[in-house]
Amino acid sequence: MDKYKIDARAKLIITLCLSSIAVFIQNVYVLGFTLVAAILIAMLLGAKLLLVLKSFKKMWFIFAIIVIAQSIFTNAGANLITIGNFSFLSTGGLVKGLEFVLRLAVIVISATIITTSSHREIVQGLIQLKVPYEVAFMVLVAIRFLPIFMGEFRDTVTAIQLRGVDIKRIAFKKKLKMYYYIFNPILINSIKKAHKLSVAMEMRAFRAYPKRTSYLVLKMSLRDYFVILSSVFFTVALIVAYYLFLRGGCFESIINYRA
Amino acid sequence: MPFIEAKDISFSYSNGTEVIKEAGVSIENGEFTGLIGPNGSGKTTIGKLLCGILMPDKGNIFLDKEEISNLELCQIGQVIGYLFQNPDTQIFNVIVKKELSFILELKGFKKSFIDYQTEKMLNLFKLSNLRDSYTFNLSYGEKKRLAIASILINKPKFLILDEPTTGLDIKSKKMLSNILKKLLDRGIGMLVMGHDEDFIKEMAGRTIKIREGRIIG
Ligand SMILES: Nc1ncnc2c1ncn2[C@@H]1O[C@H](COP(=O)(O)OP(=O)(O)OP(=O)(O)O)[C@@H](O)[C@H]1O
Ligand SMILES: [Mg+2]
Repeated sequence: MDKYKIDARAKLIITLCLSSIAVFIQNVYVLGFTLVAAILIAMLLGAKLLLVLKSFKKMWFIFAIIVIAQSIFTNAGANLITIGNFSFLSTGGLVKGLEFVLRLAVIVISATIITTSSHREIVQGLIQLKVPYEVAFMVLVAIRFLPIFMGEFRDTVTAIQLRGVDIKRIAFKKKLKMYYYIFNPILINSIKKAHKLSVAMEMRAFRAYPKRTSYLVLKMSLRDYFVILSSVFFTVALIVAYYLFLRGGCFESIINYRA
Repeated sequence: MPFIEAKDISFSYSNGTEVIKEAGVSIENGEFTGLIGPNGSGKTTIGKLLCGILMPDKGNIFLDKEEISNLELCQIGQVIGYLFQNPDTQIFNVIVKKELSFILELKGFKKSFIDYQTEKMLNLFKLSNLRDSYTFNLSYGEKKRLAIASILINKPKFLILDEPTTGLDIKSKKMLSNILKKLLDRGIGMLVMGHDEDFIKEMAGRTIKIREGRIIG
């Protein structure tokens, strides 16, 4: 979808805006609306949403537990299930749980918007946004090394199983120890990799010259400016409006209504 | 039926290129089998397939008459000791002697037994003077020896060793071949991947040659 190609910086701003909305706003309707908007934007920019959903397949269980935990500890609205005097599940609690899931979904989907740019473009975008080069470079390294760490993690988990340890059915007390054993090589290897990388970079005169120029320079078009301005404007307006009018307003009074 | 049997297995990594092409191998327990081939020919991949770390796209693999996909990794680990090519991913402890004892501790053996076995392995692999050293400061060859020792302490019935001799000096190689010969005398078979033809010749067993994912003899 070449038609909707926009500058990496514009994507960074959109992601920032969407996740700010997700963090600052505690209203199911607004969050639901934001989620729909995030999905539409991500699809327009050609993000691989299905792939992301697939990798979250195994997490549904954890989501469900969080939603239930939120509902148990929030006590508002009409009681749906009570055990003795204790309100186990209430409408207010369910709404809180739903809010949590929506918030998480918005953040994850807005992050996929960035991934539609190449690594190089993202780092260049950060640099041209006046992020120090060292910081931008660290972001790039983190992105690059992630698959390597995943591979090593898989190997380590396999290696300990191949020593005859049944990691699924091991007793709980030993399980904690086993996690310690698994994380040991990963931690040590990453520290060693970081150390080697830093030496290699110094050897190649990283930071030897105060000013770095780049071959790739991003240029913003009119459309990018428009995208950035409108998303910032919309986000600020939404958050201000929310704190002025909606908070403690009509929605809260519906939840707090007790028959 | 042989101890490990692979029939017409094919395998591709997630990027899609076929790395193993309709390969068939059968390996008897109790004897030495060498698997040699150039870099990138698929030795490591075959090894990982044969012990169930990877699953073939086509074909079947049997371990001791059992289809390998029906076995869990920890069950396979009771039978096969697997040495990864990279020793760093399989050293789980910060202290050398702990690395030898921890697996027996996890399995709930008595302390006196664990101490005895640990000392035995430290002596066997000439690691005694390093017993309290940090594992991450060991040299490559020392790490390799430690990794082999901590696999042998588990008393596997069969060994798959991915390049056990790379990084070892002549003395350590001699030591390793003597240890492996003793194991062979006890009826423990092994599959050894590598380029070290001298070492494989010395072990005087069968060799399988692999090139570009095909078994060529
Ligand atoms: N995780 C992976 N993803 C994609 N391709 C891989 C992966 N691991 C290995 N390959 C490729 O598969 C082929 C066979 O690799 P393999 O590691 O089995 O070779 P090898 O014979 O063990 O080589 P070496 O002698 O260097 O250890 C190589 O071309 C390699 O690039
Ligand atoms: Mg290999």
